This record gives sequence, C-alpha cells and structure tokens, in this order.
Amino acid sequence: MASISDIALVTQVAVFHNKQAFDQLVRKYQSPVRRFFLNQTLGNEQLSDDLAQETFIKAYVNISKFHGMSSFSTWLMRIAYNVYYDDVRARKQTYDIEDSSAVRQSANNGDSNIKMDIHAAMALLKPDERTCITLQLIDGYPIDQISKITGIAENTVKSHLKRGKDKMANYLRENGYGG
Amino acid sequence: MEDKNDILLKQLFADAAKQTIEDNGFTERVMMNLPEMTDPVMAESKVHRLSQLWTLFCVGVALLAFWFAKGWPVLESILSGGKQMLINTIEVFLITAPTTEININPWFVVLLLGFVLVFLPYQTYRKLSATL
Repeated sequence: MASISDIALVTQVAVFHNKQAFDQLVRKYQSPVRRFFLNQTLGNEQLSDDLAQETFIKAYVNISKFHGMSSFSTWLMRIAYNVYYDDVRARKQTYDIEDSSAVRQSANNGDSNIKMDIHAAMALLKPDERTCITLQLIDGYPIDQISKITGIAENTVKSHLKRGKDKMANYLRENGYGG
Repeated sequence: MEDKNDILLKQLFADAAKQTIEDNGFTERVMMNLPEMTDPVMAESKVHRLSQLWTLFCVGVALLAFWFAKGWPVLESILSGGKQMLINTIEVFLITAPTTEININPWFVVLLLGFVLVFLPYQTYRKLSATL
C-alpha cells in the first residue's frame, strides 16, 4: 500500500492541482527514477534525464488514475518502464547497437572502473533481462513487485533474472571478478 | 538459496544500489515543463464565471445608457401615466357599476354552484388524503 505522506501529496496534486506537492514528489523520487534509466541506457545521462522528465510529466498528467492500491513508487516505476520501452521501440534500429558497442569499447580500453564493467556486462543482456536485473539488484524490488512494474509474469521474471545473472556473472568472471 | 552468481553480483551491485543521484536542478526543469491541467469541473466554473462577467458588463452598459439618455424622467412619466390610467378606470367602474345591467345566465349559476359545492370539496379531500 502507498505510504500516507505519498497519498496526501498525490491527493493535493489530483484534487487541488497543487504543484508544490508534486514538486515534493519529484524531489523524493527523482533519484531512483533517474538511476533506473541510467542503468537501462547503460550510463547515458542526457537520455536518462529526458526519459525521467517524461516519466514525471506523464505521472502528473495521469495522477488521478493512481488509486493507492500499490505504492506510489511502484506506480511511478511502471510509468518509467513504459516510457523506457516506448523509447526502445522508437529507436529500435540504432539504440542497442550504438550504445552497446560504445560501452564495450570503453570497457575493453582497460577502464578498471567497476561501474563501467557492470554497464558492459549489462549491455550483453536483452532489455527485459536488464530491467529485471536492475529492479532487483539495484532498486531492491522483490519478484512480485517486478512483475507488477513490468507486467511480466512472475515465472518469466524469474527466467529473465536467472539468464541475465548467468550472462553477467560469466562476463565478469572472464574479466577477473569473483576469483 | 543463493548461488555463486547471486553472491558475486550482489557484491558488485552493492555500491550501485546505494548510489543516490543529486537533484542538480532536475526537479526545477520538470516543474517548468509541467502542462497546465484543466479538469471539466474547473473548465465549467470558468465558463460560468465568464458568463457572470458578461452579464455584469451588459447591466453596466444598460445603466450608463439609461443615465446618459436621461431615462429617469421618461420612466417616471410612464409610471405616473399608468397610475393615472388605473385610477381613472376604477373611478369609472365605481360610478357606473350601480346603473349597469348585468345579464345572469341560469346555467352559469348552476355551474358555479357545482364548482363550489362539489368540485372544490372533492379536490380538497383528495389532496388531504394524499398528504396524510
């Protein structure tokens, strides 16, 4: 269930169009939403911020559709997931190829930064696998919540997690992690 | 149960999970780009308010026109003329009524009596029984 303070803020926005209340919601959730996009786009900050902004605008426009049945963060992440997949579909031709090759190149240049290696490993994953992995390992959502956010069945989420983790762990071991 | 892959990834993702992204003006940018929301109720009240303002404007214009056209003496003369006409009519009626011959139709008297003695009590009874 949504927390009381979130519900109070959402009510202020939905009923009175109180922009100050929405400002508080944006401040509270900007970090997890931008971090989600940063991981999905493999570190593309400009694109992440654009997508995060679109997410919050969609949340504002559709705020009356939030009924408090799930937490506000789950509802918001569901919008973020849809925004991300709309963008993936729109860029289908070039997005994965360009970004993945750029990250792989930087990883192969001897950059020892763990973050870069993680992004390089994540570039090996399919978009659904990457989403499930980041939602679980970075944002800490349990499988049922990931299922709600993505709209993917729980068993499929488990499969995505298993396959994604195997791919990433193999890549990272090949690059000297985990002994 | 956690396998080796889980343990490795959890260790590597531990820092990423703690990462907090600084706002750095992001919220301001979002707030600046928010669209104006208008719901049907608000829109309706806006139309209502505009209609009230238009009515007020029209009344104002009419009052000004009345003032500039020196409307009050005209109105006063109409009213006093009307009053005089009414008084004259009553006066003529009172003077001529005693000498005026009125033809009374017996059927009219029967209908009037029927109305007063039958129809009115019946309707009164119906209304009272419906209320009680």
